[in-house]
Amino acid sequence: MNTTNGNTKTLIVEDIHKSFGPVEVLRGISLTAKEHDVISILGSSGSGKSTFLRCINLLEMPTSGRIHLHGDHIEIVKDSKGNSRPKSMRQVEHMRTKLGMVFQQFNLWTHMTVLENVMEGPVTVLKQPKNEVKDRAEAMLARVGLSERKNYYPSGLSGGQQQRVAIARALCMEPDVMLFDEPTSALDPELVGEVLQVMRKLAEEGRTMIVVTHEMSFARDVSSEVVFLHKGQIEEQGPPKTMFKDQNSDRFRQFLSKVR
Amino acid sequence: MDFINVIITFWPKLLHGLGLTLLLTGLSAVLAGAISLPLAVFRTTAGPWAQFPMRLYISFMRGTPLLGQLFLIYYGSGQFRAELQSIGLWSFFRDPFNCAVLAFTLNSTAYQIEILRGGLMGVPAGQIEAARAIGMSKLQAYARVILPHTYRIAQPALGNEIILLMKGSAVASVITIFDLMGETKTVFAKTFDFSIYLWAALIYLAVTTLFVRGWRYLEKRLNPHLAGHAPAEAAKPAMGTR
Repeated sequence: MNTTNGNTKTLIVEDIHKSFGPVEVLRGISLTAKEHDVISILGSSGSGKSTFLRCINLLEMPTSGRIHLHGDHIEIVKDSKGNSRPKSMRQVEHMRTKLGMVFQQFNLWTHMTVLENVMEGPVTVLKQPKNEVKDRAEAMLARVGLSERKNYYPSGLSGGQQQRVAIARALCMEPDVMLFDEPTSALDPELVGEVLQVMRKLAEEGRTMIVVTHEMSFARDVSSEVVFLHKGQIEEQGPPKTMFKDQNSDRFRQFLSKVR
Repeated sequence: MDFINVIITFWPKLLHGLGLTLLLTGLSAVLAGAISLPLAVFRTTAGPWAQFPMRLYISFMRGTPLLGQLFLIYYGSGQFRAELQSIGLWSFFRDPFNCAVLAFTLNSTAYQIEILRGGLMGVPAGQIEAARAIGMSKLQAYARVILPHTYRIAQPALGNEIILLMKGSAVASVITIFDLMGETKTVFAKTFDFSIYLWAALIYLAVTTLFVRGWRYLEKRLNPHLAGHAPAEAAKPAMGTR
């Protein structure tokens, strides 16, 4: 485990704007995730929550904004044609190794076995020795309860199992922050629990997590902070206890009444 | 001479011709495969203006007969003998075998670019996104995720292209190459026994059949993840690169 102190591992996202053509979907969102924070991002469809999460690791290119994590500073600049791009792609790639991403659709590499999926990042990207990575990958698979499936291909697993492998794959990179993009939305209802359980465990271990989710119980019980997005802006933000109790914003109240 | 005797007498010639056919086809297919990969990547990533020359090349190669292309290179180069001599390329173009390999390579490259383009575009976006998200560089993403998918998608069509190329290589016989068809023609000229053509056809058929079988086997080995829910132990060596 990393022994650097809390401050340096803080993820700071500043003033993210994102437009798709004439439509501005993110209008200046800033967010700080300190070590051990578990931040749930809520919002109705089209509020920009997934886009925002994908802007953090630049899978979606923000129109403008800055991102800082542990010595990496990503600045978005305009090229000669007016397109937004990061100042240094290498720095983006380096920052991504410290941001573990879990997708709604799992996105396991279908041509690799479960174990190969989990080992791929550390071996190919971080250039760590294979035998060392293998031990760690097996430990990660054990943590998500899938040791005995390590030689299966993803097509042989259920959605819930695939998502747990995807979590193990992200963990094996030993990231500073885990990003979850609606990790249970593509799952059959009876498979949601096994994935949430793994995520709860990670939160209890003190993992820094940013979770875009529709699971209100997770947001309320597990997260340390809840962010409610509306029309590309932060409408309300705070610890879940006060957020869910007071419901200061009308829109948040309306949203909650709809999802419950 | 009868159907059986003609092959008993002349099988060494046909065998020699077959060797040349396989060499022509194999060399051209491999060269075209090597050239078409970077070009296909360019084809899927570059802007429309940068692609224009390549698209022109592809439509020319796919829209004109292979025989015509072969003539253009073999007889056409003869027209520029002095110029080719001055830059030291004449010794290459003087040899019909070289001309045939060049023509087949250029032709197959055009087809293989388009086949690979289809494969590249068929790679699911999520697979690439996962590669980017974990911090892979473009090169790493191509090597580890995009190209393994591309070749799995393109493999059946590539096999088809190689078969077409092998059969098409028979046109080499008209520029004095003694490939399988060329040797068959000389045997026929000696014996006037048309059954040698039947033998040649059977040999082409046999080679094609064997190739198809081998290619299918390869397809299965490359795609253990499509085989169902069984653990992957048995299929692992096919994954190779690591």
